[in-house]
Amino acid sequence: MIQFIVQRALWGLLVVMSVVTLVFFLIFVAGDPAVTILGPQARAEQIADFKAKKGLDQPVTTQFLSYLGVLPCVRKDSPKYERDDGSRGFCGVLQGDLGESYSHHESVADVIGHRLPRTLLLAALAILFELIIGLSAGIIAALRRNRWTDTSIMFATFVGISLPTYVTGPIALLLFAFLLGWFPFGGYGVDALDHVYHALLPSLILAVAGAATYARVMRGELIETMRHDHVRTAKAKGMPASRVIIRHAIRNALLPVVTLIGLSLPFLVGGAIITEKIFAWPGLGLLTIESIHSLDAPVIMAVVLMFGVAVQVGNLLADIAVAALDPRIRLSE
Amino acid sequence: MRSTPKTERLAIRAVGVMVVLAAVALLLGWIVSSFPKAPIGPRYVGAGNETPRAGGTFVFAAGSNIHTLDPHFAYDTLSTAACRLLYDGLLDYDYDGEMIPSLAAKLPVVSDDGRIFRFELRDGIKFHNGREITAEDISWSMHRLLSERIGSPGYPFFKSIEGAGAYHAGEADHIDGIVVVDDKTVEFRLDEADQTFLNALAMPFAYPIPREHVEPLEQAEGVDAVGRHPIGAGPFVFARWERGVQVEFRRFEDYWAPAARPDRMVFLENISGDVASARFRNGDLDVIYRPSKVSRLFLRSADAWAPYRTEVPSPSVFALGLNCELPPFDNVHVRRAVAFALDRSKMERLNPGEVLAASQVLPPMLAPYDPALPTRQRFDLDQAKEEMRLAGFPNGIEEPVTVWVRGEGDVRLAQLFQQELKAIGIEIELKQVTFATYLRETGKPRVAQAAFTGWHQDFPDPSNFMDILFHSRSIHPQNSENRSFYRNPRLDDILDRARPETDREKRLALYAEANAILADDAPWAFLFYPVDMFAWQPYVKGFRAHPVWLNEYRHVWLDLPRKRVSQSIYGEAESP
Repeated sequence: MIQFIVQRALWGLLVVMSVVTLVFFLIFVAGDPAVTILGPQARAEQIADFKAKKGLDQPVTTQFLSYLGVLPCVRKDSPKYERDDGSRGFCGVLQGDLGESYSHHESVADVIGHRLPRTLLLAALAILFELIIGLSAGIIAALRRNRWTDTSIMFATFVGISLPTYVTGPIALLLFAFLLGWFPFGGYGVDALDHVYHALLPSLILAVAGAATYARVMRGELIETMRHDHVRTAKAKGMPASRVIIRHAIRNALLPVVTLIGLSLPFLVGGAIITEKIFAWPGLGLLTIESIHSLDAPVIMAVVLMFGVAVQVGNLLADIAVAALDPRIRLSE
Repeated sequence: MRSTPKTERLAIRAVGVMVVLAAVALLLGWIVSSFPKAPIGPRYVGAGNETPRAGGTFVFAAGSNIHTLDPHFAYDTLSTAACRLLYDGLLDYDYDGEMIPSLAAKLPVVSDDGRIFRFELRDGIKFHNGREITAEDISWSMHRLLSERIGSPGYPFFKSIEGAGAYHAGEADHIDGIVVVDDKTVEFRLDEADQTFLNALAMPFAYPIPREHVEPLEQAEGVDAVGRHPIGAGPFVFARWERGVQVEFRRFEDYWAPAARPDRMVFLENISGDVASARFRNGDLDVIYRPSKVSRLFLRSADAWAPYRTEVPSPSVFALGLNCELPPFDNVHVRRAVAFALDRSKMERLNPGEVLAASQVLPPMLAPYDPALPTRQRFDLDQAKEEMRLAGFPNGIEEPVTVWVRGEGDVRLAQLFQQELKAIGIEIELKQVTFATYLRETGKPRVAQAAFTGWHQDFPDPSNFMDILFHSRSIHPQNSENRSFYRNPRLDDILDRARPETDREKRLALYAEANAILADDAPWAFLFYPVDMFAWQPYVKGFRAHPVWLNEYRHVWLDLPRKRVSQSIYGEAESP
């Protein structure tokens, strides 16, 4: 088991490293952040000054290794640039330093610190809606198998999976915000309760595809499980039907759903990019778009790093959970 | 043929499918028809308080980024709007555009030669950190503004202060012309009399900031840091700023002019016109300016919104600039022909309510604008052809004229006028460049034959249009402000006499004369004045469009709690 986890973790690390390297060089190729940040009217000396401060005047490989924290710091405006004894310090990822945002004039950690809780709020509400709507729809469909309730639920899930957020989002905004006035028209509000109120509609939209997937998986698994011997035995020994379903069938059918949740976590954060854009929800997704527009390299890198790590950790946890829950997988390894 | 059981079943099935399809169609029809209509009036109204009431959160938005909250760098409209909440200066403007004292107790005492301005400070004026403002603060802030070190774009407006140039160049460590007489008195001495100095003092550039806050901050985090951690003397205190998302302000309880104000102001950034319009109509925004085109048409036509909207010309002018040094526009008759050839009413028809045809350089709210000015800046095809004949081009000009354009808006304008210029025998070719290139190249003599251009006032005085845009002093080898390279010694003379003139009547008469010369000589073919629309929620009280400040919300109060109204009280919905 431990060997299995270590192996998976190493693979994950390799994938994250490759993605980070690729994106770093892609940003380098994409354009000159100094020009984008300072604007077209910036004077040559301003640009040179900016580049010197941020270490952009160094060879790109030096920049990259310094970003990782393998080579000494190249950002002259970093407090870690010079140590007290005069030698050069390190200011890279390995030292836990993600740098300073070019456009926000704040440390990247602070910028993400502002944005992450909002995306987590959206993701948490979305998961909640996915589970409530998806699981109940799936269970109802399974229990009413091949009747019209089942057919309509399965049709609805089909529609739900097929419709992308950039279709459902604007429709929901138009209908529930603009025409009916039940929800605010995007944005994230001005205080805590207001934030939750503003999050309801985007998280519902974010939950549509997930809920539909869970409903289909739950239905399939539950139908499958109901055929299993242990369920038949439970029924045969005279257990009440509701108890059989809840204690024996649903519990077992939940297994693949748990895996799905683990796998979907990073995508809820990543998939929120479009939703956050549509609903003008200033979370990580919107931050990603903004920083790509302004070529705010430290923020782009940090977001890529975070998404990468999140996907890998999510996968790893899902693998471990499944392995722990299902001895057959453990044994076959 | 007798139907077999099989075909019977098929028929029944087909009928069944059709019935289901019909039911689905009916259901869809019912859903669509029972869709709620778009709100045709305000969604919320006020509680009905008669007297101003403090409290609530006032939310407004703009389409792009706020650059800085440091008044010494606030040159764009959004930074200015935000700084208007945080800071106060010696002088301000009232809602008629007249200058009024703010931190100053009264308008300054001016010496007979018009060179020395003495200000008395008001009692009880405090920075947000609680410290009383003294004359020393005014002086120190001006020194910061005019230092080469911080490089503020405001420096040119204050060059006329005695010794400002030497200080800016680093040749002196003090500006001789700024004299702190005592704690409450400060004096400004100018090199030469200049009435516009007071206008300059009313710009955000001259707003005082506290030295004990700014100096350590600049030392620790650099000059930019002041724009991120502002402390001023205005009606609202800075709370927090998430760049690109929103700035929040809280009411300043020790403000020298107490009034019932909202507890909090939230200024949202980067909200596009469409989104802002939808949010406004949904009641999420308390005020909107420059709504999207569709929403603007709707707000103009919806009766329920009539008491809560206003349209005012913006203090700016758009024009087709003609280079007076390059043929064919070195010939005044060709310039007049162009000015006569353009049918400006077309723009008004295409953008209803958004533009007002321009006949002169001064916008309508700025004296001495003259609606009855006998001008060549109006559409008259016969006159245009006559001018072409006088110019010696009765059959038109063979070589096409290159017109520089800044973006899509200019291209559409150019297409609008292409036919009309063709009618008098001038073919145009468009040269579309980035805004930076446009600024650089059109500022050089003998480069651009013609260019779409415009001006937005820095302060409400005719000199801010005429001196900058048409005085020969504004022609330089690079970065000319006079981009039509118009030289007229007579105009220069009038402008030089008007600028220092202290007698208001005489001064306006001189500018009226200059105004007529410019309309006549047509270095610019004036096109239009943009018109801004503002709309506000019924529970927002005390809002008026300000003639100088674009987003002026320091005097609003909120009639809360707001009440939701049923849209049916506005009658049957009309499609916008």
